[in-house]
Amino acid sequence: MIPTLPATPRKTALTKLSGHRLLASPTGLAGTLWLAVMVTASLTAPWWLPFKTEDQDFTAVLSGPTAAHWLGTDELGRDILSRIFASAAETLGTSFITVIVGVGLGTLLALAAANSQRAEGVISRVTEIMMSLPGTVIILAVIGAVGTNIPLIMAILGVLISAGIYRVMLGQAKSLQNQLYVDAATVDGLSPLAISVRHVLPGLATTIVVQSALIFAVGLLIQAGLAFIGFGPPLPQPSWGGMIQSASQHVYDAPWLMVPTGVVLALTVLSANAIGNALGKAPNAGASHLPSAAIRRKRAGQAAAAAAATPAVRNPPAAGKLSVRGLSVGVDGGTPLVTDVSFDVEPGTVLGLVGESGCGKTMTALSLMGLLPSGVAVTDGQILWNGKNLAAATDRDMEGIRGREIALISQEPMRALDPMFTVGYQLTSAIRRLQSMGRAEAGAEALGLLEKVGIVDARRILKSYPHQISGGMAQRVAIALALSGKPRLLVADEPTTALDVTVQAEILSLLRSLVKDTGMSVVMVTHDLGVVADICDQVAVMYAGQVVENGRTGSILDQPRHPYTLALLAADPHANSAHDMPHRLATIKGQVPQPKDWPAGCRFAARCQFAGSACVVPVPLLPSGTETGLVRCVKADELAVEGMAWVATDSAVHQHVPAEVPARHRLDITEKDMA
Amino acid sequence: MAMFVTKRLLMALATVLVVAVLAFLLVHAMPGSPGAVSLGAGASQDAIDQLNQSLGWNDPLVVQFFRWLGDAIQGNLGSSLIDGRSVSADLATRLPVTASLAAGATILSAIFGIILGVTAAVRGGFLDQLIGGFVGLLVALPAFWIGVIFVYLFAVQSSVFPATGYVPFDVSPQDWAMSLALPVITLAVGGAAFIARQTRASMLEALQQEHIRTLRATATPTWKILYVHALRYASLPIVAGIALQFIGLFGGSVIAEQLFAMPGLGQAVQTSVSTHDAPAVQGVVVIATVVVVAVNLVLELATKFLDPKLRAS
Repeated sequence: MIPTLPATPRKTALTKLSGHRLLASPTGLAGTLWLAVMVTASLTAPWWLPFKTEDQDFTAVLSGPTAAHWLGTDELGRDILSRIFASAAETLGTSFITVIVGVGLGTLLALAAANSQRAEGVISRVTEIMMSLPGTVIILAVIGAVGTNIPLIMAILGVLISAGIYRVMLGQAKSLQNQLYVDAATVDGLSPLAISVRHVLPGLATTIVVQSALIFAVGLLIQAGLAFIGFGPPLPQPSWGGMIQSASQHVYDAPWLMVPTGVVLALTVLSANAIGNALGKAPNAGASHLPSAAIRRKRAGQAAAAAAATPAVRNPPAAGKLSVRGLSVGVDGGTPLVTDVSFDVEPGTVLGLVGESGCGKTMTALSLMGLLPSGVAVTDGQILWNGKNLAAATDRDMEGIRGREIALISQEPMRALDPMFTVGYQLTSAIRRLQSMGRAEAGAEALGLLEKVGIVDARRILKSYPHQISGGMAQRVAIALALSGKPRLLVADEPTTALDVTVQAEILSLLRSLVKDTGMSVVMVTHDLGVVADICDQVAVMYAGQVVENGRTGSILDQPRHPYTLALLAADPHANSAHDMPHRLATIKGQVPQPKDWPAGCRFAARCQFAGSACVVPVPLLPSGTETGLVRCVKADELAVEGMAWVATDSAVHQHVPAEVPARHRLDITEKDMA
Repeated sequence: MAMFVTKRLLMALATVLVVAVLAFLLVHAMPGSPGAVSLGAGASQDAIDQLNQSLGWNDPLVVQFFRWLGDAIQGNLGSSLIDGRSVSADLATRLPVTASLAAGATILSAIFGIILGVTAAVRGGFLDQLIGGFVGLLVALPAFWIGVIFVYLFAVQSSVFPATGYVPFDVSPQDWAMSLALPVITLAVGGAAFIARQTRASMLEALQQEHIRTLRATATPTWKILYVHALRYASLPIVAGIALQFIGLFGGSVIAEQLFAMPGLGQAVQTSVSTHDAPAVQGVVVIATVVVVAVNLVLELATKFLDPKLRAS
């Protein structure tokens, strides 16, 4: 059975989006207006131009702007305004030939290359050659052969430019071609041509428009340049480049002449570029991990204000204890990502932050180090650590804490290491900085650290670049790097998720022994309840930016009080022992709501099997009755008494998910990572 | 690595060969036979035919091409149809002019482009917008227009630099530099703008890499993250951008040479195309390609050397 194809992004939707983006940018809007005026003015020129292009006014030779000649006259007394607009239609039109040929051919080549590996090999070689040619010289040689036939020359220019367009389009075309719905269409028996036209081409629409605008500008400039050196339309026909050329002859006695044509040409090129840039701006470019100086200054000001506003820390927690109080994190625009999160981590213990992705776990973890991505900031609450409130600390304060007191291990070890430097360089420079050691001493320490994290051939690894070692090895290196400043608290953001199952167990046991040996504490972000059971002393279950249940690992796993925790456990194949493994694992219908869709009441209510009318009011985090645990559910007591279980239902969403899929994959299906 | 270099060398050779064939065909498509061009208007058809015969114009195209190629490999690119001078000798005096122009403009573009691009990416905020607007304006201004304005400002209004002409280096290094100043700056304006954009985008991309967060998590000072780690990561696309820019500037020097009366390759193409001087056109196209391809090859090898993944393999 062939599944129904998911909808392809429709062309109309794309153009609507692009149009909106164009008009939203002031420069894009101005550019569109100017181009519209130019096109209209040039097409209607014969009806409104005050003079014919060859009309000579000998009473006003080389004049500046006057009432009769708004933009002045040239050396023969011809009206500049009339000459600019009389030649505009041809200039714009022939530049568009370059666009059609260049972008058209480039797109066709990209489609062909995306379609077959063999075609890609050939086309890429050929375009590589084309791009390494001195294009201007070739164009001039072509002019030698065909004469100054402007449309033909602009078309040949388009051919030369198509190589660059192909380069731009190829990556995108290939990723579109590799979409699942394209595979499905292939299985469906759609011909490669039909797939290119129906599924790949619409996805390229925005890029095509952007490139067209940019190439239009290039065409205008090159055409004017050719006319400037004498390869324009035959005299006395005016052209912009030719007019600038004759103006340049009079730069000594009539410098004004340079202005009108130059400005019109520059404005037209600027407009085309502005349109291209407005449309081409990536809507959600990845966030910077080191915000620009301007943002850092602003952030420092905010931190100072926050520090001044918050009262002095009352009853500071003991040294080595982390205490998070009412922490909120939000996007600068105002959307909250994490609200009112509180937890404590005692020295030498491991706290698990659990939940599906999109629940704010990673944001919470990164805020502990002051490493929230650009555009996201702590908006409220305190992070108390060794008598300081890290939520109000400046970047400078944090530099004294990062690495030395609190260290980070991230999810993808390969991406966490700098690909340009050897492991040895990265490790020793961190050790020298964090422990104020000399070069030789740091080298020995690096070797020791690598051995401590279980790397046998440490000497070889030190000399390797990150791409030369395996993922598991890279995570060990990343852990060694995190340990290089002898931290008291380790923030581990899903440290095993990207690793093979066998390696996962090794890394977990390494972390466990490190906690035992060094006495440091760990905040472990994970969505794997197996990891929680394995290593965590305390657990905070997070859902949609809130802690919904919090307590000792044993009591949470054995006696979950919140329906979400209950559901997570029911959905985890590891939590069900083999003999009572149910016929079908439970699932949680729907997905974590986007921060902007969070309801005022219980945020889990929409997916909860036990939700009722009481769940629409905001729910406080209250003692759950089991030891020191806390739970955020109005029905918690009722449910505890009734002892209800999360039942496996035939949910439409997860119907076909086989039971063998591990829990974290199951959760991943509906997840959208916010990090 | 050796494999990579061999492959690139073969590609470069293929490129030059393709262009040689292309140039040969284009020249044969030019209106007028060499005899007619050489003898000018008013020559008898007999004289023209006789000259064409002796130049081998009537031989099969393949024969003519390989004859040209054989001569070219020995450094003989034929002689001009207009004044009979050796094309090789003429281009040998012209190449240094264009090479100084293009190299000077590329270096100047790279320096200012990298400074502007890095500043925009690192400082952000208002300065970023200011540089962005400035760079956008520079990209839109045609080089020939900027050149004329420079002549007006620096040669007409205040005679800081000579407006036109070229002084060879061995005649007077100081005058050589002065004569190059305006054309080089003219060409570098657009080049710097292009490299600034490329640099800004590459730096921002580098700063989005996750390893930057690791560096911050180990208390690496900001200057070191920016100028050692991020710039190092961004260096690959920046050098690739500079290579592209050199190609553009080498070809683009036609306009600067015409504007500032510099006796370079660009001027040679322009005049030989206008006069239908076939051997000269063919020679200059091939020489320009050889230079561009060679410089491109060197810069590309430099890029690959900067990338540990390719260096090690």
